[in-house]
Amino acid sequence: MSPIEIQDLRVRYAGRKAPALDGVDLALNEGETVLLLGASGSGKSTLALTLNGLIPHSLGCEMDGSVRVAGMDTRQTEVAGLSQRVGIVFQDPEAQFVTLKVEDEVVFGLENLCVPPGDMDGRVDRALARVGMAGHRHRRVDALSGGEKQRVALASLLAMEPRVLVFDEPTANLDPVGTREVFALISSLKERGEHTVVLIEHKLDDLMHLIDRVVALGEAGEVLADGPPRAVFRDHADALRSPGVWMPQTALLAHRMGGRGLPLDPFPVTPDEAERALRRQPIPKIVGAKRRRTPEGPPGTSVNGAPAIEVRDLSYAYGDDRVLDSVSLTVPRGDFLAVVGANGAGKTTLALHLAGVLRPPRDAVFVEGRDVSRTPARDLSRRVGYVFQNPEHQFVTDSVADEVGYGLRAMGLPEAEVAERTAAMLERFGLSRYAKANPFTLSHGEKRRLSVATMLAAGQQTLILDEPTFGQDQKNAGEMMALLRELNAGGRTIVVITHDMTLVAEHARHAAVMSGGGLLFCGPTRELFARPDVLSRARLEPPPLARLAARLSRHDPAWAGLLTLDDVAEPEDPRPEGAQRRADLLP
Amino acid sequence: MQTFYRDTGAFLQRLNPLSKVLAFFPALVFVALVTDPWTPLAFIVLTAATVLVLGRVPFGYFLKVAGPLLLLVVGFLIFYPFVVRGELVAGSPVLFTLGPLTVYEAGILYALATALRIYALILLSLSFTLTTDATDFVRALVQQWRLPYKVGYGALAVFRFVPMLGSELAAIRAAHRVRGLSEGGGPRARYEQLKRYAVPLLATAVRRAERTALAMDGRAFGAYPERTYYRRLRFAPRDVLFVGGFWTVCLLIVLALNAAGLLGPLVLLQTT
Repeated sequence: MSPIEIQDLRVRYAGRKAPALDGVDLALNEGETVLLLGASGSGKSTLALTLNGLIPHSLGCEMDGSVRVAGMDTRQTEVAGLSQRVGIVFQDPEAQFVTLKVEDEVVFGLENLCVPPGDMDGRVDRALARVGMAGHRHRRVDALSGGEKQRVALASLLAMEPRVLVFDEPTANLDPVGTREVFALISSLKERGEHTVVLIEHKLDDLMHLIDRVVALGEAGEVLADGPPRAVFRDHADALRSPGVWMPQTALLAHRMGGRGLPLDPFPVTPDEAERALRRQPIPKIVGAKRRRTPEGPPGTSVNGAPAIEVRDLSYAYGDDRVLDSVSLTVPRGDFLAVVGANGAGKTTLALHLAGVLRPPRDAVFVEGRDVSRTPARDLSRRVGYVFQNPEHQFVTDSVADEVGYGLRAMGLPEAEVAERTAAMLERFGLSRYAKANPFTLSHGEKRRLSVATMLAAGQQTLILDEPTFGQDQKNAGEMMALLRELNAGGRTIVVITHDMTLVAEHARHAAVMSGGGLLFCGPTRELFARPDVLSRARLEPPPLARLAARLSRHDPAWAGLLTLDDVAEPEDPRPEGAQRRADLLP
Repeated sequence: MQTFYRDTGAFLQRLNPLSKVLAFFPALVFVALVTDPWTPLAFIVLTAATVLVLGRVPFGYFLKVAGPLLLLVVGFLIFYPFVVRGELVAGSPVLFTLGPLTVYEAGILYALATALRIYALILLSLSFTLTTDATDFVRALVQQWRLPYKVGYGALAVFRFVPMLGSELAAIRAAHRVRGLSEGGGPRARYEQLKRYAVPLLATAVRRAERTALAMDGRAFGAYPERTYYRRLRFAPRDVLFVGGFWTVCLLIVLALNAAGLLGPLVLLQTT
């Protein structure tokens, strides 16, 4: 019997016209690992919630069609019964904990199921051992790292012995270290083969070898593609690309090469397959054709005057915690700098000092040659824009137009000029039709764009962004990065804090690596990825394609130092991905 | 969730939380009713000694938590003599006059008594929080005192929210500072500011509450009217020992104070 059988499933949330899921048919096979893909708002999480009956039992929405778990209709089955068959690990490790200690968390579900206390001990031990947390039974959950939290979250489900495990973006809130922990965990589940796994994730290359089947949802909540990974990524690439579904870099590479008349056979979806296929394929000329495409070296604007940002021997302690340890850093004007490092390395603290949110001591941080500690906040906010990870935090008015106009009014500009400049900004960022809307009603990608617009309205020349592509689908992320590239080409200095190494390789001119509060490295991006010592100390990894190129370079030196898709083969349409749709918005 | 709780593994921490409630509650009520300064003083010493010796709470940490609350008492001490009811100080010798204000000796004594009383109440409650894991307290309430478990665990989940809301508020304030908004100003500006903070804070809180609820439901929370408990909380002999011992010491203190003539009339028994 199929562990999960979905027939003509339709789900519509109260107050929404469009359904979140529209006619989904899906039958999972025992023991398979299924990757569930889809653009933002395509209903991936909604589908996950129907698998253990949280929809319709806990969330009020209209549901038609049927979901059968081990033959039982979820509508007719209590959540208690379903929770012993299907468990979900959610994205936010904090929000899924109820208690304070690891042990309490793991027994929580068992207690709810009225398991006799005598039986719990063994089940807790087994569940914790399975996730590699056997020695952590009595730790407090708030003292765990992000990766450990997700492991405990999984253990608390494993204790209930479900046959189906659903992971809904389990690594979205984690740094590269935590992400690797979670992937290793999924890999060990797969090895034991006892569970049917449904995985929603978009960091794909390091996972693809575990995936038996890919199901992609379309924008209208329908199944766009369903099949083995190779077939889906080979045959449905265009259908996946247009709504913005993330694809493995390997598959994108294969398509690029196919487009240049060099199809790879068999079509690779994992780095190993790509290595094998590319070693068989002689590829003169194409490799390295666009090596100079990624911007390198300081831009022309950097020579005149003071650098955009200069940090001299900055330290900062929070209580007894030394968060920044004598950091010195110079960001030339017009640079595109990526700040990378594990969680807790001090990236955000450093960036907050640059924007004056945290007040640096005297003579430690200079923006355009001015000492931040002596620059009034209002003056500084006209020079440096800071886009927070959660764009909602920055909204201070009730309408999109007022958001953009806010900084201009604060500058004391006449109302006519405020209106004119606001309209121009909204036009440029593709937000004109939302001028009167409340910022909170925008989509995630639009909120991001608005927060960037508000941070540039007063003519700020330096823009700092904390995880600008967090939680976005490929389309929105691509548009955001194209926008930043555009601003950078116009002379603005861009600083991004990110965990996404592909983004760093594709867009950043320089990279600063933080580790334990200190600056480990600052230099051209290309140099960073040639320094395995720095990367391993900062617990980072090069992007998937760079790792592939490094492996291939042992056989063919032409591969050495290649980092991105564009390095390997230029796209058929030379504009960067995402820019195609944005072009009309950018004057 | 961060309370003042310090798990030192000492006697007080290993007690059933409810036995601490049982032990402290009569003392709390009694101290609330006394009018002399000596009884609260005695209970302050007793509570501090209990926390430091039986709870092995580090002295420095104890001072860090309990110290700032002393300021409250000092503040009370300064202002109370000026606002004390006239008939209470009638006939008392005048200590000094400050313009139109007259300070009587009785006023100072009343201030001292009231301030110490408040501090003793604070300290008694603090001794509970310093030595009690909130989860255990809720668990004990649910298991032994029949608090509906949905209410108890709901409260725990809300409790976990507090630090999240704190860090969220800090992030929002920082984000608004970047936009060039300054804090402070008149009441109107304060109201506007509050409104600006409230919307994003509420949006986050609602979203997170929903996620937590789903994670709980997904683990069969609320599936049955009853649930089992891995760790059963019971009253152990040491709990009986503690409650009995604490009551006895309290009683001895009160009797000693009474014998020394230091115990003032209780508020309830006072005739006005």
